[in-house]
Amino acid sequence: MVELVPTLLRQELERLAADNQRIDGRGQWDSRDVSLEVDCLYNAEGSAKVVWGDTIIYAGVKFEIRTPWPDRPTQGSLMCGAELRPVAHRKYEPGPPSPQSIELGRVVDRGIRESGCIDMEKLCIVPGEKVWGVMIDIHVLSDGGNIFDAAGLAAIAALRTAVVPAERFDVGEDHRLKVKGSPIMASFTRAGGRFVYDPSEEEELGGDERIHITLGDEGHLHSLQKGLRGVFTPSEFAEILAVAEQKCTKLREMVAEKEGN
Amino acid sequence: MGGYGDVKLLRDDGKRLDGRTVDEMRPVSIEAGILPAADGSAMVTHGLNVAVAAVYGPMEAHPRKIQRQDRAVIDVRYNMAPFSTGDRIRPGFNRRSREISKVTAEALESVVLVERYPRSKIRVEIEILAAEAGTRCAGITAAAVALADAGIPMRDMIVGVASGKIEDTVVLDLDKAEDNYGQADLPVGILPNTGEIAFLQMDGDLSIEEYNLAMEYNFKAASEIHEIMVDALKRRYERGDN
Repeated sequence: MVELVPTLLRQELERLAADNQRIDGRGQWDSRDVSLEVDCLYNAEGSAKVVWGDTIIYAGVKFEIRTPWPDRPTQGSLMCGAELRPVAHRKYEPGPPSPQSIELGRVVDRGIRESGCIDMEKLCIVPGEKVWGVMIDIHVLSDGGNIFDAAGLAAIAALRTAVVPAERFDVGEDHRLKVKGSPIMASFTRAGGRFVYDPSEEEELGGDERIHITLGDEGHLHSLQKGLRGVFTPSEFAEILAVAEQKCTKLREMVAEKEGN
Repeated sequence: MGGYGDVKLLRDDGKRLDGRTVDEMRPVSIEAGILPAADGSAMVTHGLNVAVAAVYGPMEAHPRKIQRQDRAVIDVRYNMAPFSTGDRIRPGFNRRSREISKVTAEALESVVLVERYPRSKIRVEIEILAAEAGTRCAGITAAAVALADAGIPMRDMIVGVASGKIEDTVVLDLDKAEDNYGQADLPVGILPNTGEIAFLQMDGDLSIEEYNLAMEYNFKAASEIHEIMVDALKRRYERGDN
């Protein structure tokens, strides 16, 4: 990307921030429109589509049977991966997984894993021999900014509607995957010198560091990540954490509502 | 093509397992302009298949060795999402997706007016989100609509369709079971206005008569799908947010 554009954009973002405005007219803590669709892909055992502003992300859950790790003979496994494929933006090029896509997958993975929403012991089929491996794949189709929150939302929604395909593997009856709670991510980017919630593509391009916060049902922190160049103060963090709590609660309700259908 | 004739694919009433007649295709729906980040895009739902295509460009051809002095090159990537099939697919290119990408690119280069854009590249990304036999055809159809949505001039549209043979009977548009246990598959890319063919593959066993019948079915299906493609593009421009 040519440096000139971010430089002009950066100045514009600073000018707007001084008036407490954003480039797309939102308030500092406003979100773009979010829509969530679950159970939308035929071959995935759990699936979700999130349209978040101009960002479109699918997540799909697949299961496989594997041998447990020798030191954890009764525990299954969970893996969350993300692909930033060239379909999603002209800035993405084909090739092996980029550092950005690895970071995205791992941040979403940690939020889900560390919230304890999946009981690994429940994924055991035969101790020491067979356990379920749960794989969540995040597929970004359009990057319009804030792919982290959209990916996190798609991942947990797909997981919460997943059905364990036990019949296909001949190990019992198909059943809903047990998921306790919904870890939800909220992301902030410094644009024009101050943090904003749900950064757009332009705010990411002309902005500085970003912070990703994943909160569980009890309001506990399950994953934090600071990305890109920049520093922030403890009081700035306290402010965005308070915003994150409200945002996560709302999105959690959206997941619960879709699941009910 | 898998085990010949060991699985029953035609019912006693002559219909197929999903109730279709021999020359009936699965339902097709198309949406154009669905990806905000792309210059052109489309989603094709063909039976249980879901294919998404995005077009970027024309842009600088890079790496430079792919540049052509007299025309644009079309760079196609056909990719199946890890969750698109029964067993998870490991992310990344494999031999199958490389071959499909190559012949799809050559088919699209046959309809796009590539000579209008010398030394440039048009990127076409095909992502299969759900696969249930016939994804390369759904991908070609999606790519054509996405190219049109991107405003890239073409001498005609191109429609991906397939016919095949099950239990010694020629049928249009094989589904998963028919593809697995059938005797032949003939996917083609048809130019609906000129009646030319820009994409052709086949595997299995077909007599000349069977080939001719399969092609007849393909042409019939192509004109049906073409109408749906045109309708998707009309709706896209009525929406007017391009």
